[in-house]
Amino acid sequence: MSIIKATGICKTYQRGREEVCALRGVDLTLEPGEFVSIVGPSGAGKTALMNILGCLDTPSCGTLTIDGVQVTGKGEAELVKIRREHIGFVFQQFFLIPTLTVGENIGLPLLFSGTPYDPAKIEILLEKVGLAHRADHLPGQLSGGEMQRVAIARALVNSPRILLADEPTGNLDSVTADGIYRLFEELHRQGITVIVVTHNRELAQRAGRVIAIRDGCVVAGS
Amino acid sequence: MNLFSLAVKNLQRRKGRTLLTIAGVAIAVAILFSLLSFSAGYERELTKEMDSLGFHLLAVPKGCPYEATTLILHGGVIPKYLTNEDLVRARATDGVVIAAPLLLQQFVKDGIPHIVYGIEPDVMLPLKPAWKVEGRFFTADETHVMVIGSTLAEKENLMPGSVIPFGPLQEPFTIIGVLKPSGSEDDNFHFLPLAEAQRVFKKEGFITAIAVRADDVKHIHDISVELEKVPDIQVVTMAQVTGTIMNIVGSARSLLFSVIVIAIVISAAGITNTLLMSVNERTREIGMMKAIGASGYHIGVLLITETLLITTLGGIIGILAALAGSGLIETFVRGMVPYAPSGSFVSFDPILIAGCLVFSIGLGLLCGIYPAWKSARLSPMEAIRGEWE
Repeated sequence: MSIIKATGICKTYQRGREEVCALRGVDLTLEPGEFVSIVGPSGAGKTALMNILGCLDTPSCGTLTIDGVQVTGKGEAELVKIRREHIGFVFQQFFLIPTLTVGENIGLPLLFSGTPYDPAKIEILLEKVGLAHRADHLPGQLSGGEMQRVAIARALVNSPRILLADEPTGNLDSVTADGIYRLFEELHRQGITVIVVTHNRELAQRAGRVIAIRDGCVVAGS
Repeated sequence: MNLFSLAVKNLQRRKGRTLLTIAGVAIAVAILFSLLSFSAGYERELTKEMDSLGFHLLAVPKGCPYEATTLILHGGVIPKYLTNEDLVRARATDGVVIAAPLLLQQFVKDGIPHIVYGIEPDVMLPLKPAWKVEGRFFTADETHVMVIGSTLAEKENLMPGSVIPFGPLQEPFTIIGVLKPSGSEDDNFHFLPLAEAQRVFKKEGFITAIAVRADDVKHIHDISVELEKVPDIQVVTMAQVTGTIMNIVGSARSLLFSVIVIAIVISAAGITNTLLMSVNERTREIGMMKAIGASGYHIGVLLITETLLITTLGGIIGILAALAGSGLIETFVRGMVPYAPSGSFVSFDPILIAGCLVFSIGLGLLCGIYPAWKSARLSPMEAIRGEWE
């Protein structure tokens, strides 16, 4: 069974009086454990697609199922639950809370899912992202690459089957970006579906499949 | 970690701003608490002091307004007198247990005004059971003797046995007793036998006022009516004095309350503004939290908790500051009100403390509800993009 199945997804935004069409009938099927890049120029609709796939936004038309669950037409409360259980998010700005330790930042989603904080689990995740024994550090003591690793560990804390990353290396130099991609490749090998939106064509090629978007339509890789 | 500790950590991110907001709440609550405790304490102390006077009404010369009565209580001198016939009438009135004549005179020595009370010990002492004297009290027919208040004794370095020149003729007077501190105005006075005071100040046959105690408080009104039938006499009951003073204090209090309301409104607008600013700054972060599984409820509770922390802490600090600074406030207020009771009138009423805390919490809820609601309903996608209306 496909992990993500999108059919005829449209998205229109209201910008003042103007109606902007970000997505025009996107069909997309992703299999479990795939490593996918979504590429395209600015304004092509990459982020809009990402937000819909991540249940952060609802499509104007079309249907979407995630892990066999019908998403379209669901209310915000149900979308929160789907995000919490199925999807991990990584953003360009790492969004770590500066007054929380690395361990507490990683454990933040547990607070919202009502799961008790387990230091052993946090340490396993830190080892996984290559930051063993750094749980008590504050984000300010880390480099950009390290902060993004913490953000990835946070995305993984609820053991999601899908990892969605929006320009995860946009703020990092090429060496650090390479390290982050190697981490994505490792997670992909462990069976997690990794979807990365990026500008960087070179890095995009490292995924098993590259989906190109232009003017709200998938032009390659569907 | 829970939402509470997350809220605490969030407040630590902008320490300066958090502290300033807490200070704003603390000031508003401190003023509120001081004012409320002053109101309650002032009335209580005033009533207590009036009770401790030992008499229920004062017969004064006609044309003597309440303010002049207040003057008499403070030892002020009014230029009108009652006579011995009035005293006899008062003593013959039904329901009067004690009618004590008072002659008040004032003289200035070294630039300091001194108050002299001419009293009849036989009737005055039963009115003042709290008086304790070091040395002894005089009898009605003694001459060249006086008893003085403790504060006066301390200031002038006098003790039982001291002899001082006294009166217009600077006659030698022996101090035969010093009153133990009573905490009232009595501590500042000279007390002489009535006849001796009348002789020294050449006021034979004259008295300033008659202090009357009724056999029952219920008879105060009847006694007043009866006494006022005497053409020279006007009666002022202590309840009237208390009422007049409370009226004057009441209008000052209304003014202060309006100032307080304005201070609280400004403080509330400040808190709400601070919160909205902090929500605005964290819009993208709130979006992130929603993406990683926070519901609108979580975000709302987080924001409300932050607000409640600020206002509750501000409330506690405000109350503590008001208690610590109560001495200062009392000194200030004493200078402002027409009649200040001698006891402390800042009360440590636990109900008032609880009330002020509840007020702080209510203020937090009121100020926090809009920013919390606004961020709770924020769409995660819009938030992450930083599109905040």
